[in-house]
Amino acid sequence: MERMAGPMSRVLQAPFTAGTLRRLLFCATGVGFGAGVLFAPAGIVGVVAVLRSMAGRDGPPGPVASGFLVGVPAAIVVLLVSATPAGRGLAVIHRGLAARLLGETIPAPAPLSPRGGPLSRTAAVLRDGAGWRAVVYSLVKLPLAVPQGYAVFCWCAGLVDLSYPFWWRLFRHHPPQVHLDPVPVATPFGAFRVATFAGTFAAFAAGGAMVLAAPWIAHGATALDRALMRGLLGPGRLAQRVRDLEQARARAVDDSAALLRRLERDLHDGAQVRLAALALNLGRAREQLGAHGEPPDLAKARELVDAAHRGAKDALAELRDLARGIHPPILDNGLADALATLAAGSAIPVRFTADVAVRPSPAIEAIAYFTAAELLANAAKHSHATAVTIQAAQHGDVLRLCVSDDGVGGADPDRGSGLAGLTARMRTVDGRLYVDSPPGGPTRIAVELPMQA
Amino acid sequence: MRVVIAEDAALMREGLVGLLADRGHTVCAAVPDAGALLAAVAAHRPDVAVVDVRMPPTHTDEGLRAALVLREKHPGTGILVLSQYIETRYAARLLTGNAAGVGYLLKDRVADVADFVDALTRVAAGGTALDPEVVRQLLGAHRDAHGLTDLTPREREVLALMAEGRSNAGIASVLTITGGVVEKHVANIFTKLGLPQTEGDNRRVLAVLRYLGSAGT
Repeated sequence: MERMAGPMSRVLQAPFTAGTLRRLLFCATGVGFGAGVLFAPAGIVGVVAVLRSMAGRDGPPGPVASGFLVGVPAAIVVLLVSATPAGRGLAVIHRGLAARLLGETIPAPAPLSPRGGPLSRTAAVLRDGAGWRAVVYSLVKLPLAVPQGYAVFCWCAGLVDLSYPFWWRLFRHHPPQVHLDPVPVATPFGAFRVATFAGTFAAFAAGGAMVLAAPWIAHGATALDRALMRGLLGPGRLAQRVRDLEQARARAVDDSAALLRRLERDLHDGAQVRLAALALNLGRAREQLGAHGEPPDLAKARELVDAAHRGAKDALAELRDLARGIHPPILDNGLADALATLAAGSAIPVRFTADVAVRPSPAIEAIAYFTAAELLANAAKHSHATAVTIQAAQHGDVLRLCVSDDGVGGADPDRGSGLAGLTARMRTVDGRLYVDSPPGGPTRIAVELPMQA
Repeated sequence: MRVVIAEDAALMREGLVGLLADRGHTVCAAVPDAGALLAAVAAHRPDVAVVDVRMPPTHTDEGLRAALVLREKHPGTGILVLSQYIETRYAARLLTGNAAGVGYLLKDRVADVADFVDALTRVAAGGTALDPEVVRQLLGAHRDAHGLTDLTPREREVLALMAEGRSNAGIASVLTITGGVVEKHVANIFTKLGLPQTEGDNRRVLAVLRYLGSAGT
């Protein structure tokens, strides 16, 4: 038989891929959860009923009635106070299942850490928005158990139905005069019965349809569940934004501290050393020249002055590079000029186009410039490219910078720390970095920055 | 004078070697890090070691820590610590307990070759050399300390030079006054600050520093 290929094979393989099996497992947990939530209260009610009937038989009715009067409000209070912690506890499980089985990572909301006396703690628990959203999820998830159970049923019962023709002959080789009961075949639309071998093909067809349909039902049921989880089990949009901003701020603060540290190191190990050595050489030269009269060793003095002169020039070059690294003066003329200068100085030929009518804020210009510089340096270092294109264009409130090359590709923001660092720097101003760099090339990296930081 | 140099910047290291060679001193070894320094001092037993504070691998205070180890292990070797910055706390750590054969100078001072070699010679001979910047910072921090306000400007100058580790003769030549005048100033300073009269240059330094509240903190 030829190997099946194309969409047909995908449809036939769909019920047995790892993804489908994981989704079905998730659906099964959903059914289990629904059953648990439905039956747990019924169980409690049952236990209470039994206790009541026992109390009714053994004791006088008075205490039971008053116990009931106290018990119901107490139960409601307990239920209210324990709702959000329970919701949060279940949410942990749901998020874990979603991450494990659906590959859906949902960040946990900030933990509730109430302080103060028992009263304020209780109030905090009652006001816990994330906790209540988790409770809502647990309730909304109940009806979802229906389609999820449906998916699991279609898959399991479908496989059973598929098997009918294979075992029929084994068990049904009775003589014609013996009458056996027909065998039921379960389908989502009710059961039908087959009594003959020919009938088993109907079961086979029904089973095949069910097994093939199961992945899609599972997909739909889990997609809905995912959407609910994202909305109800996450930290909430505002809280998420706050968290993102906190992370971005922490990164910005770390970045600037690291930058200052690097600057100090560069100065200390670079220009400062050169200037100290220069002063030292001049000091030695002065010694050699003596205070007055003929210098004792003129050649040596000349040599030292030469060294000092070289040192002064080196120190100047070093300081110039350092200053330009902090803020390229050409950036004051605008991003387009700065990028053009950058392009002109590149080792790889660069085609540069700019269409930026309005100047972005200085911070954005600086980020765009240094990003372009780093991407260009990356291209020169890793890509073996023969040509690079840099485009800067303004689209409304967005500044779009695109650096592409015809090199070997394979740039991966998850591996190279350079691209990850750039992505992190983007986030401090709500910018984005898109990397398209398949192995073999070409590489195209797009950066979107807001015009105003 | 036999010298070991520990300095990670090659330019500076070569400069120092050349400077000392010009003056006819012997540089036994010039090494780029603290580990090599300890080995070199143990091997050559020099009169004095010139040590940069910041060296590999962490570029923080390796040199200073190595200097403290050297002072413990080889009391006969003077130690002159060089640094791009002056940290009074580093000075305090170096001078704790005993200021004999210890120096702490800003790197810039090497440009004044004569002064630098003077300081190095002093340290090699068991004396003290403190950067004027350290002394200035300490005097500045204790401007209002009891007694300092009673000093005349001249006496304050003498006090600063004394704290740097200079002898009376050294102070006399810096201020171009006679040794007798210096002695009178020193006596006045000790009286006004309530310091015990002590002999020996490095003990005078310690007395002054202890008064300024820096040594041992």
